[in-house]
Amino acid sequence: MAMQSVPVRLEMVSKTFRDPKTKAEVHAVRDADFEIRPGELVTLLGPSGCGKTTTLRMIGGFELPTKGKILIGGNDVTYLPPNGRQTATVFQSYGLFPHLNVRDNVAYGLKIRKLPAQEIDQRVMRALGLVGLSELASRSPGRLSGGQQQRVALARSLVVEPQVLLLDEPLSNLDALLREQMRVEIRRIQKSLGITAIYVTHDRIEAMSLSDRVIVMKNGYIKQIGSPSEIYERPNSVFVAGFVGKVAFFPVDFEAQDEKGFCLCVLSGKKVKAGHKAEGAIPGSKAVIMARPESLRLLPSGEGIAEGIVSTKVYLGSSMEVFVTTSYGEILVQVDDPAEKRIADEGEKVGIGFNEALVRVLPQD
Amino acid sequence: MLFVMACLIFLAADLWMFSTVRNSFDKTMVQNIKTLAVAIAHSAPEDPGDIEGWVSGLADTYKGYSFYYMLGLPWEDGFREAGGDEELKKYWSEKQDAPDMLEALDSVSYLESYILKDKPRIGGLARNVVLAPVPNEAGDTAVGFVIIASDASRTSSFARLLNALMLIAFAIFSLGFGVATFSRDPITGYAILVLFAIVVAFVAFPLFEAVRLTLMREGKFSLSVWKAILGNTQYLKALWGSVQLGMHTATFSTFIGFVFAFAVARTSMKGKKIVTALATMPVISPPFSLTLSIILLFGNNGLITKRLLNLQNFTIYGLGGLTAVQTISMFPIAFLTLQGVLHAIDSTLEDASMDLNASRWQTFARVTLPLALPGIFSSWLLVFTNSLADFANPLLLSGSYRVLSVESYIEVTGMNRLANGAALSILLLLPTLTAFFVQRSWVSKKSFVVVTGKPSTRLSDLANPATRRIIEGFVVLTSIFIVALYGTIVAGCFVKNWGFDYTFTLANFSEALTRGKAALLSTITLAGIATPIAGILAMVAAVLVVRKNFPGKRILEGLIMTPFAIPGTLVGISYILAFNKPPLLLVGTGAILVINYVIRELPVGLEGGVATLRQIDPSIEEAAADLGADQATIFRTVILPLIRPAFISSMSYTFVRSMTAVSAIIFLISARWYHITIQIYNFSENIRFGLASVLSTTLIFIVLLVFGLMRILIRQSEHLEKTVSTR
Repeated sequence: MAMQSVPVRLEMVSKTFRDPKTKAEVHAVRDADFEIRPGELVTLLGPSGCGKTTTLRMIGGFELPTKGKILIGGNDVTYLPPNGRQTATVFQSYGLFPHLNVRDNVAYGLKIRKLPAQEIDQRVMRALGLVGLSELASRSPGRLSGGQQQRVALARSLVVEPQVLLLDEPLSNLDALLREQMRVEIRRIQKSLGITAIYVTHDRIEAMSLSDRVIVMKNGYIKQIGSPSEIYERPNSVFVAGFVGKVAFFPVDFEAQDEKGFCLCVLSGKKVKAGHKAEGAIPGSKAVIMARPESLRLLPSGEGIAEGIVSTKVYLGSSMEVFVTTSYGEILVQVDDPAEKRIADEGEKVGIGFNEALVRVLPQD
Repeated sequence: MLFVMACLIFLAADLWMFSTVRNSFDKTMVQNIKTLAVAIAHSAPEDPGDIEGWVSGLADTYKGYSFYYMLGLPWEDGFREAGGDEELKKYWSEKQDAPDMLEALDSVSYLESYILKDKPRIGGLARNVVLAPVPNEAGDTAVGFVIIASDASRTSSFARLLNALMLIAFAIFSLGFGVATFSRDPITGYAILVLFAIVVAFVAFPLFEAVRLTLMREGKFSLSVWKAILGNTQYLKALWGSVQLGMHTATFSTFIGFVFAFAVARTSMKGKKIVTALATMPVISPPFSLTLSIILLFGNNGLITKRLLNLQNFTIYGLGGLTAVQTISMFPIAFLTLQGVLHAIDSTLEDASMDLNASRWQTFARVTLPLALPGIFSSWLLVFTNSLADFANPLLLSGSYRVLSVESYIEVTGMNRLANGAALSILLLLPTLTAFFVQRSWVSKKSFVVVTGKPSTRLSDLANPATRRIIEGFVVLTSIFIVALYGTIVAGCFVKNWGFDYTFTLANFSEALTRGKAALLSTITLAGIATPIAGILAMVAAVLVVRKNFPGKRILEGLIMTPFAIPGTLVGISYILAFNKPPLLLVGTGAILVINYVIRELPVGLEGGVATLRQIDPSIEEAAADLGADQATIFRTVILPLIRPAFISSMSYTFVRSMTAVSAIIFLISARWYHITIQIYNFSENIRFGLASVLSTTLIFIVLLVFGLMRILIRQSEHLEKTVSTR
């Protein structure tokens, strides 16, 4: 299957609708404005109700934007119906045709395009081969497992050679192990075809492991766009920092930035330094320092920036997670190579320190 | 922009075409009037003494015209008015100096007739007025002239019709073109427009006409019809008769229905399937058949009343007999409703009650009955409204007892008082609507049917052995009675002259089938045409209701559902009112019957389609759209196969109900398009019970055949249903 790679562009797209019961206006998506590069896999990540599925459905043509423009491959498709645009969607519930067998499900889009029977056969078998389901071609979808149904849905979308592949929480109905396998599979197929893909999920691990870039959304707003590492290491808000991974927050007064770029802050009277800052954080205001578990370390009591009591230890083999109750809430510290070290026992008083180069100053929410 | 341009161009073409038609029609009319005027003027007598007689003779010959004759011209000596119609004279004296009139006189002096531009109202009607010269013998000068006024209402009603058609053409074009230009989904847009057009033309418009007729008298608003109806004790008696019958039937039906439902849902009685099948028979059985068999058994010459018991003063005609027949034919409605209600009550509640040491009776009285009470009440209301709308049973069996539905039929067909008939059938709507709103506001609030996730499979008896015997005995006896009733009809086919001569004969068959053949064929043909139309429309409507959002959706749904709530007699009467005139002159055609079948069965099909469609994951259709299918293709390749069971059952339901219709179509049939049920009615009225029995049996046979076929077809698609709901 030869796919041509095209960009997708949203220009100030908003969607409001009326709640059928309360009659109140709901802003599902507000001023979404971004571009997805050809061949890229981008994830829309956010908690439920953040507008990620609505955004995807607008790109697919299932919903009309209230305002704004959507361009696929440079063409304005904002008002085109789903059957008028070159997108193919893999639905959360798969949406397989229960009255057709696997082969006819996959062939559906090609039959609509009135291709010759021989070509349809070839392309269907190739698509089924791609997802590893060639043997099950004459099964009815009701007699397939969840993962197999998922693959049929994927084959059915890919076989029509769409310009853009849209995936709406495709793995949420699968069990954990299968989810991991399919994740790898989807990424492999997407890369090998070089197709532009947009993936909606609320699972941050799925988003991190799968995407070239992640778009984090909340309450209809796009909070941040960036590569998985950017989103994880350099979030620009407390929300994004908290949503994409475990994190500890320390409320500080952000005083100034020194010549090396280090941020000088005051945490409960103590002077602390942080390696970098988000754009919104302005010297001279209240701010928050974020620290990931791996940038924190346990110290003897009385040292470091905070004091606490170890509440729980979770042994994970290559590392250990230590939960420490402090005046800033429960803080998770990741200790690598736990076999080599002595780690404080539960109930013991400890100090907490952080790696200044890795922590980041964020504006207050 | 393009849209506005196209609309303007179309409007211009539309105007041009219709005004051409109108003008040429006007021209012919004017030409006709002028020719007539010339002919009349030439026949004017020479002798002035004969003029008076001639003018009054003219008025007698030419009805609808009035004449006024003048001798000479106003500016000549000796001009005088020779006389004629008084109102024309008045008109002349008022308008003789008007510029139009002067021009007319001018052309008269040149021996040319002239039609006035003014169309004055004379004697309450719009008139065309012509001045025609009366020539002298040589034919070179006018010796006088005739003013001729003719009725212009025919021309103006033709003009109105043309204007209406022009507007309709423009509306169709602009809507159609608008949808094609502006809608992302033109096929859905067209479907909405077509459905709207259908329900407006065939639901809203006829009902509006019926209501309007009851509120008009000689073209003016008036309540005289309603005053006459509500001031007449006969009519009020009929209203009370309907309500009384409804209450009787509803009470008995609900009781029997509850016993049946209880036996099926809460006891370990054997043969539940047979009982269920048997108990639902009366719902689908043709009208008149149960009445017929009741008459055969209990009528004046009935098998039981006369032959076996030889009763003298017993009559089945009236409230008692009607209650009996309606109860037998309507208790299945209560049974089906209550069976659902009892199944919905989680039986673990009863287990819990008995576990807490309540007796079976206490459990029934304190748990089951209170929980079922709202259901019992709504089934009562359902039967009540059905009884009110019932027309076929009272038609044969009411005797001197009066009910509204039959009364309105007699008003229309017997007395030819359409307005009264319409008013009476609207009156019938009152108790129905009341029942509906009571159901809505009270019963639904009171309802506490317990919804649990999994249906419990337990079934211990909620009746002690003795009670169970009694219930079983009741159920069995009722079932036997039902079987006996159908058996009687079959037996009726083979009897020479029921009530008098019980010898075996086959003659009924050949006579009934020969005389009923035309009716049977036309019924099957029209029902067969209506069936696929109703099926498809119902499914399209279901898709629109469940899946689409558009302004006016509620109104559309309401209008489609309306025929479900209104009695058939009202539908029938409103159809003859609305469709006996252009632009929709349908009375007497087969089309009006087909339309009536479709409109009346759409609600049930829609409900079925909606229920099925709600079970189907919408992403299946979205996937099809996403893969390039347009709405029509999605409907054909995805939706229809998935809602096949609803589609098939809606079609077979339409077919059967159309075959067994009475109340509305009795107003709409014609000699060419007769209906089998009316034929049965005619045979029964003429005491040809053998013939009626044969046709009834035939009809029952057809109904069973169709339902059997439906079951087979639906079973074939059952494997789908399991996989459809992936939600």
